[in-house]
Amino acid sequence: MGAVLTLRDVRQTRGGRQVLAIDELDVPAGERLAVLGPNGAGKTTLLRLLAGLEAPAAGSVEIDGVPVHAASLAFRRQIGYATQRAGLLSATVIRNVELPLRWRGVDAPARRRAALAALERLNVAGLADRKALSLSGGEAQRVSLARAFALQPRLLLLDEPAAGLDAQARRAFLDDLEPALSDRATTVVHVSHHAGEALRLADRVLVLVDGGVRQLSDPATLVQRPIDATVARLIGYENVVSESGGRTTLAVWASDVRIGAGPLQAVVERVSLGPGRWDVVMTAHETVHAHLPLDQAPPHPGERVTVSFKRVTLIR
Amino acid sequence: MDAVHEVLGRSALVSLTATAIAVAIGVPAGTWLALAHRRGRGALATVVNTGMAVPTVVVGLVVALLLWRSGPLGELELIYTLRGMIIAQVLIAAPLITGITMAGLQALPPELPDQLRALGANRVQLVVRLWIEARVPLLAAAMAGFGHAVSEVGSATIVGGNIHGQTQVMTTSIVENVGKGDFDEALVYAGILLALAFTINAVLTSVQQRAAAWAQS
Repeated sequence: MGAVLTLRDVRQTRGGRQVLAIDELDVPAGERLAVLGPNGAGKTTLLRLLAGLEAPAAGSVEIDGVPVHAASLAFRRQIGYATQRAGLLSATVIRNVELPLRWRGVDAPARRRAALAALERLNVAGLADRKALSLSGGEAQRVSLARAFALQPRLLLLDEPAAGLDAQARRAFLDDLEPALSDRATTVVHVSHHAGEALRLADRVLVLVDGGVRQLSDPATLVQRPIDATVARLIGYENVVSESGGRTTLAVWASDVRIGAGPLQAVVERVSLGPGRWDVVMTAHETVHAHLPLDQAPPHPGERVTVSFKRVTLIR
Repeated sequence: MDAVHEVLGRSALVSLTATAIAVAIGVPAGTWLALAHRRGRGALATVVNTGMAVPTVVVGLVVALLLWRSGPLGELELIYTLRGMIIAQVLIAAPLITGITMAGLQALPPELPDQLRALGANRVQLVVRLWIEARVPLLAAAMAGFGHAVSEVGSATIVGGNIHGQTQVMTTSIVENVGKGDFDEALVYAGILLALAFTINAVLTSVQQRAAAWAQS
């Protein structure tokens, strides 16, 4: 059964500056929690606290009711942590995956079985005898994850597991990661600054901004009701615009912006070809981004157009 | 030629023993300096770096003053003995090995120790794995320590006394023969000393290169 996480009044500082402040966070057993936030939001600090690598300056971080930083090594060995860099060692892939099992006293045949099963789960069993330091970025990330999976942890911490991968490698990686994370015997905390990754892999998303919890909700609620403009931008809304003299703020997907009829006057600034679409940037009283289908003739830079929104999300 | 063999054997014995002891001291010390976050670490690292540059003749003088029959450690009767020379060479090689070990471990990815801890390594498992990852610079440290020890003449002369049949080593033989004007004999010793240093370093370099190639192939 997955671990239960309880954080209360947690504060962490770096060089006298507060980098994390979480008053209350409960993660039930088997939940997949994504932590989303910009760089420097405190995401990795949160993972390090959960891994017991550092103690909070104040408050408590507990796993199954046990303060993790003070817990025994045997207790902390129930945690699997795949760091942002793959961190592979100068040995073969299989030995990299087996090593933490050897540290836990697992006998050789059981180690080999567990390591191969974990590599298989992430589609890299064919790399078992390769030197780990000769792998590509995507391969190394998969092996790093397999190393964490092989431990069959009750709590799995993933720090930007797809960092540094190109779009295609990222998609393939997430395709393999998603089923691997579906096992409810493990509680998963997954840090990312990519909204798509967080929304796809999580039961709930915790949005961290400047070290504080800005929003905690399921992915659908987060997308439909972002709590403020920062959260809306983080989850990918291309347009966050003020209306009624700043009294209301709207979040609008670029694909919901219509050009040609509407109440808003705008001037086209830039038109470029995007993946399967035209990307149009316009200036009204704020910058507006629109995605147009490729079969639609785009406007020209400098052209005056009118704009409407097919669907909007009211933030305030 | 027997005398040459004897002196060669003595040089190898003293310097290899001193290097082994200096590795046993310097590698753990360098590891602590590389990994510790305590106050005073920076000051200690400066002391080590200074130790790397201390002239061997100064080390010899300090050791001789300590071991002198009327000195604080005189009762041990180590002055003009091989054991006294080994102590001096340990003091010469250990700072070098400590410094290179520290630099080698600091050159590893900075997040590696935390990654290993997060994977469940205890302290011993962590340090052993870091040594394996830094095996190339660690071998370089041992090579540098041996090279420094076997080639120094200052402390060997002061602490050993260059006593024929007892404490004479290759470097002190060279100095003595040059002093007597016997350059042929001095050149023979110099050639053998070079061959000794070359052979031992060739073995270590081969191991080091294989370790480096293995990691990157």
